[in-house]
Amino acid sequence: MNRLRANLRAIRLRLWGLLRRGDAQQDFEAELDSHIAMDTESGIKAGLDAAEARRQALLRLGGAEQTRQSHRERRVILWIDNFFQDLRYGLRTLRRTPGFTVTAVLTLGLGIGACTAIFSLVNAVLIRSLPYGDPERLVYLFTPSSRLKIPEEVICPGYADFYDIKRDTKSFADMTTYEQAMLSLASQGSVQQIGGARVDGDFFSTLQSPPELGRTINSEDNQPSHSKVAVIGHTLWISMFAGRADVLKQTIQLDGASYQIVGVMPPEFKYPFKTDLPYGDSHIQSTKIWVPLALTPKQKTDRDIANNVALARLRPGVSIPQAQAEMSSAMARFDRLYPTEYGDWGALVESFTGISIGPVRPLMELLIATVLLVLLIACGNAANLLLARATGRARELGVRAALGAGRGRMIRQLLTESLLIAFSGGAVGLILTFLFLRLLPHFDPGNIPRLNESTLDVRVLVVALTVSILTSVFSSVLPAVAVSRMHLTDFLRAHEVSGKGAGHSRIQSILIVAQTAMVVVLLAGAGLLIRSYINVVTVDTGFSQSTLSMNVSLGDRFREPQPGRAAYFKDLIGKVRTLPGVNAVGAVSNLPLSQTESLGTIWIDGFANQDYQTTETRTVTPQYFAAMNTPLIAGRDFTDDDASSAARPAIVNEKFARIYFANRNPIGGRVAGDNKHPDWHTIVGVVADIRHTSLEEDPQPQMYTPSYDFSGAFIAVRATIPPVAVVKEIRTVLRAIDPNLALTDIRTMGDLVSKASARRRFQTSLLTAFAVIALLLALVGLYGLMAFSVNRRRREVGIRMALGAERSDVLLLILRNAAALVGTGLLAGLVCTWLVTRTLKSFLFGVSEHDPLTVISVSLLLIVCGLVAAFVPARRAASIDPMQALRTE
Amino acid sequence: MGDKTDVWQGTLALMILKTLETMGPQHGYGLARRIEQTSGDLLQLNYGTLYPALLKLEQEGYVRSEWGTSDNNRRAKFYELTKAGHKQVRKAAAEWEQATEILSRFLTPAEGA
Repeated sequence: MNRLRANLRAIRLRLWGLLRRGDAQQDFEAELDSHIAMDTESGIKAGLDAAEARRQALLRLGGAEQTRQSHRERRVILWIDNFFQDLRYGLRTLRRTPGFTVTAVLTLGLGIGACTAIFSLVNAVLIRSLPYGDPERLVYLFTPSSRLKIPEEVICPGYADFYDIKRDTKSFADMTTYEQAMLSLASQGSVQQIGGARVDGDFFSTLQSPPELGRTINSEDNQPSHSKVAVIGHTLWISMFAGRADVLKQTIQLDGASYQIVGVMPPEFKYPFKTDLPYGDSHIQSTKIWVPLALTPKQKTDRDIANNVALARLRPGVSIPQAQAEMSSAMARFDRLYPTEYGDWGALVESFTGISIGPVRPLMELLIATVLLVLLIACGNAANLLLARATGRARELGVRAALGAGRGRMIRQLLTESLLIAFSGGAVGLILTFLFLRLLPHFDPGNIPRLNESTLDVRVLVVALTVSILTSVFSSVLPAVAVSRMHLTDFLRAHEVSGKGAGHSRIQSILIVAQTAMVVVLLAGAGLLIRSYINVVTVDTGFSQSTLSMNVSLGDRFREPQPGRAAYFKDLIGKVRTLPGVNAVGAVSNLPLSQTESLGTIWIDGFANQDYQTTETRTVTPQYFAAMNTPLIAGRDFTDDDASSAARPAIVNEKFARIYFANRNPIGGRVAGDNKHPDWHTIVGVVADIRHTSLEEDPQPQMYTPSYDFSGAFIAVRATIPPVAVVKEIRTVLRAIDPNLALTDIRTMGDLVSKASARRRFQTSLLTAFAVIALLLALVGLYGLMAFSVNRRRREVGIRMALGAERSDVLLLILRNAAALVGTGLLAGLVCTWLVTRTLKSFLFGVSEHDPLTVISVSLLLIVCGLVAAFVPARRAASIDPMQALRTE
Repeated sequence: MGDKTDVWQGTLALMILKTLETMGPQHGYGLARRIEQTSGDLLQLNYGTLYPALLKLEQEGYVRSEWGTSDNNRRAKFYELTKAGHKQVRKAAAEWEQATEILSRFLTPAEGA
């Protein structure tokens, strides 16, 4: 025990000794002096002369230097002390060659920075845990119908089915159902629309998310008589109540009713976030308020499809396939008991994380692969720089070896230097990451979950550190091997440059070729993405980007059709049309690219109809097409009379006409919802195709019917005056009609196009940026290698010139050498590209993964850049003065 | 075999501690001379080996050092035992005695054999 304490104390003091080694050394120096002086003195007393006395004193001591050394070894822990020595020595040598150091540090900084930046993003999106208990056990329940040609994740079990599943299955520990809702929140005299959810009593317990303050919504609150309570999100708490604690005593005005606030959710809880749902309400980016769903007993037994979402937590030990099997058999039972017109409802259990994160996983993987390539290129550069330096320092290393430095010690010295470089690079990388995260919000496409929550947290720092260490090891392995292969005699002879070869080793060439190949892959990938992006943004959308759009919702009162509802929009559109500067105005039920959809089944008169043919359906006012600048191909636009006439006119798009009216005139053709009770529409016009769902999907058949009767609609305006002025005028008009109505989602169609292409812009610009960085790194590497070999070949060049070689011959000699490297790298890269780009296929649009234009431009770019990088050293070689070059040896 | 013996591993520390206990505070040179004398000049001691040993004892907390003035008015670093050092002398001496006693039983022929 005592012994142990003594040992620990000794270790502590020895570590301490590392820090104040200067003091201790001086102190011991003095002690040694006094020792020698005393011994010498006693020798003199014994009759020796001073010199002999001192000699004997030193002899008795066993040598002053040996004593110093053994004292030092005891004073500190030796390997740490050696490390510090290496560190100091490394710093000194690095300072002596600033050009090398700065290049190496910046190179690695870019590589490490790219890695860390992307990791911080992946960390936020994929790795950091979601604020919902164990998110891996959360599942969504869907009831797809094979007969409806719509994605499987659209329809959730209706309320009756939901409660029957809850009663009859054992796979789920908790189940909750809720509806998304835009709620009008009145505060300080103005009305704003906020994203909310009407939830049942099990919502928060299923998510396992506790409140920040107060309580959550329970089953008591879901009794229709007690349902006027609300849980608010953190942002609303701060913005409306300034974060005050008495918020739980406050009420809030929602859709004209008063709700008691019972709880506040923490900042990270925004469920359902837009990307948390496969087909969520497109108006709702994140949820800010939760109120009880409060179903009536009648609603609970309704078998119809509702607008709800069903979320469940798997019981521990139950897998998704097991839950799927149990739900399938339950649904099959219900289908027999309660047949419907849609046919049988299936069952689908999908993991929450799969829905929420699944779609962006490939992008994250692509980004990681990209930055790893960039990092490899950076490592290659650093390795090449270190190799060049080790060769340049062969004499110095030789002298050190001759003076007795062990090979291990010299390799350790190299490793220490590369560690220094890598850590400095890591620091540069962290700074770059910090800048990247500051810039990120400007590029956030808005549909990558939690992207904006990317931060430099501990995990990111650990990754940066690990990457730095790995980088330094990786980039110093080759130089270390090179050093350990050299023999002492080679060291000393090394200044005699061998006359043969390109002046650099094969390993250096291989590194450059490999780097070039990787750059080719990255450039080709970026090129393909750029071409795809151009194809996407220049696609014919079928509408004008300058058209202004906005949303008007009449609110809960007018949810169901009722007399007088149509008057609101007729009045509004009519008044807006007369505003000065407005050329055309119309309204539509679902605006293109607004991520809302409405589908209908159709039955065509005089066509070989099949069951469940569907078309996109839109309700529009007259002049909508004019306002959107959508070309009318044939027939006529709707008129005000159409909106109220019993003639039931319809307009279809070209695709619709092509499929259902091939070889006949669609004008006058008749379309109905089904053949059982045909309520025929007559086609009066054909318009151009509009990209409704996304820019990248081909337009589907589309059918438009005229009406002014909306519970809410998008207004489209074409005007000659600035949007701000138009909006201001329309607001005034709207307020005059009903002061409770609000204009929301005010955007030009161009904004929507921009938003729809945002993800693509994001991935394209990131990948392009990394490809450019990679190209720069490789060029720096090539330049460095050429400069290095020109330096080593001075003598050879001098001899060649003395023997009559022209300057242009020398220039060509070096350029040919560079061209061989770049050419080999290019070929290798093109082969890799051919193999690799097929994995990019899902990211491409309108361009083949072996697009020849991309391949040719990448090759040209690389050759030109490579020659430019090699030209400077080549010209330096050509300007060598033969006399001087030969004299330096 | 010469007539002087190298210092055995580990015994030097005990010699230093015991000498400091008997003589009180002492500088390195004095200690070296004293140890040599005590051993009756049978010990081959490089004075230099004393200093790492002293440093080790100091690090372990058995001795402490202080600069002072020697008899002939020279600045020198003096070492003295700490409380833990006094304890350690007794403990190490007891251990050593036990070890030598055990060993001597092997080396001297048993009585009556």
